[in-house]
Amino acid sequence: MTTRDDDVAFMGAAKLAEMVRDKQVSPVELVRLYLDRIDRLDGRLRAWITVCREQALEAARRAEAAVMRGEPLGRLHGVPVGVKDQFDTAGVRTTVGSKILADRVPTEDATIVTRLARAGAILLGKQNLTEFAFGGTIRPPFGQPRNPWNLDHDPGMSSSGSGAATAAALCAGSIGEDTGGSVRIPAAWCGLVGHRPTWGLVSRKGSFPLCWSMDQAGPLGRSVEDVAVLLGAIAGYDAADPLTSRRPVPDYRAALAGGVRGLRIGLLREFVSGADTVPQMRSAVVEAARVLEGLGAVVEEVSIPMLPQAGAIFMACADAEGAALHLGWVRTRPADYDQGTRRRLLTASLLPAAYQQLATRARAALRREVLAALGTYDLLLAPTGHRAAPTIAESTSAVKNREDAAGKFFTRRAYSSPAALAGVPAVAVPCGFDPAGLPLSLQLLGRPFEDATVLRAAHAYEQATEWHRRRPPLGSITL
Amino acid sequence: MPDLTQAEVAAMASAAGLPMTPDDLVEVTHRLNAFLEALAPLAALPLDAAEPVPFNVVPIPFGPAS
Repeated sequence: MTTRDDDVAFMGAAKLAEMVRDKQVSPVELVRLYLDRIDRLDGRLRAWITVCREQALEAARRAEAAVMRGEPLGRLHGVPVGVKDQFDTAGVRTTVGSKILADRVPTEDATIVTRLARAGAILLGKQNLTEFAFGGTIRPPFGQPRNPWNLDHDPGMSSSGSGAATAAALCAGSIGEDTGGSVRIPAAWCGLVGHRPTWGLVSRKGSFPLCWSMDQAGPLGRSVEDVAVLLGAIAGYDAADPLTSRRPVPDYRAALAGGVRGLRIGLLREFVSGADTVPQMRSAVVEAARVLEGLGAVVEEVSIPMLPQAGAIFMACADAEGAALHLGWVRTRPADYDQGTRRRLLTASLLPAAYQQLATRARAALRREVLAALGTYDLLLAPTGHRAAPTIAESTSAVKNREDAAGKFFTRRAYSSPAALAGVPAVAVPCGFDPAGLPLSLQLLGRPFEDATVLRAAHAYEQATEWHRRRPPLGSITL
Repeated sequence: MPDLTQAEVAAMASAAGLPMTPDDLVEVTHRLNAFLEALAPLAALPLDAAEPVPFNVVPIPFGPAS
């Protein structure tokens, strides 16, 4: 592996698409490069469940021939990507990270898989995740994904493999699924950009559900530009998902230019100054606010008092939907679930209906508060989470008592779930590193269907800083 | 509201036909009590005007087309 190979692997989806188009690199060369990296590194990272080696090489040969023939090329032509193993792939098993579906082979592609292929992307394989896309798996059936920045640490949930694979440059970009933070948290903990699109912007057809009212596919990439290109490929109305919007999809990449001058940004007091936010995260986000001000944005503190309760509201709503979906298997095949997933489903199954309904009403009230704030401000700024990636040991430790349960399940989700509860777009962007060398991350929330504004501001911040240029210390990985 | 006991949670699970190991019971009891503690204060919020629907409600144009 040469320095040039490393540099190419880390270039990301947008740049690689340009290089393929300009014949600076061939799709076959790219697929071989990433397959080689997977062979060398994934024994430790465990980012992939299924690698589509032969299919990817065959697709790369076809893509290369199309380039040589001068055919019209899609925006991701010849670019190798991965998708979370929650998305159906025709003829390729789709396990959803579970023993129960370990041998399931769909006959149709998910819409996002079809659209990636239509854009010319090459599917390298299916990425690992926490079981059934619930966070909190104790013993992942397909191996424990590890954080490329420190192998003892969690890469995030539930799109854990998508975060680890993209951060370690085992693919040029990924599509994860974000119910309450499952794209943004892995992006944050792995030093990546991750975008939760507006609810209804991206089709859910062929995505194994956790919570129908909040599930949303979204891209993870090395830069905002990568994410913009990936989002453009998968977004838009789908007759197979009646809840997708018929609005035209803008050119998110073209919309990145323009900066933040004149934008009004609300800095969310409850998350920046809250007691749960660790000091280094608070400092990094406050410093990011200064950077955005320096670029011409107007940043003011704003308060949404319900935010600290968002984690519990989210779990009551989402887990109730998940529990209903899994009720049959929980009754008949309890031992086939990981204990963490099973206990989460059992808990949600026993939560009184009155409390679930209370949470649903609180969700509506929180959504109203978030949208009211977005009536005053173009964007809302907050940490993506209260801290950097915990160790895997912390993430998988037993729940000791009620307070421990609240800390484990509600605190982290409080930061990432408001965007999901309100159905608004949110992007996670690297904004620093903690003293242990783990990435820190901010998120920007925007108005529904103003994903382009969210990405434009994120791009302006990213280009004014250097955080996204750092690479994880992969040289220390030995099999 | 006092915490649920493991015996109460076991009875609820049994009534609902949900199988639980002894270790599951310990942890599910902690989790359930965490939920009840976190959600109870929501009842004090002014939620009367908050419709329990998961999305922004767009008015549906019922009635004759104009």
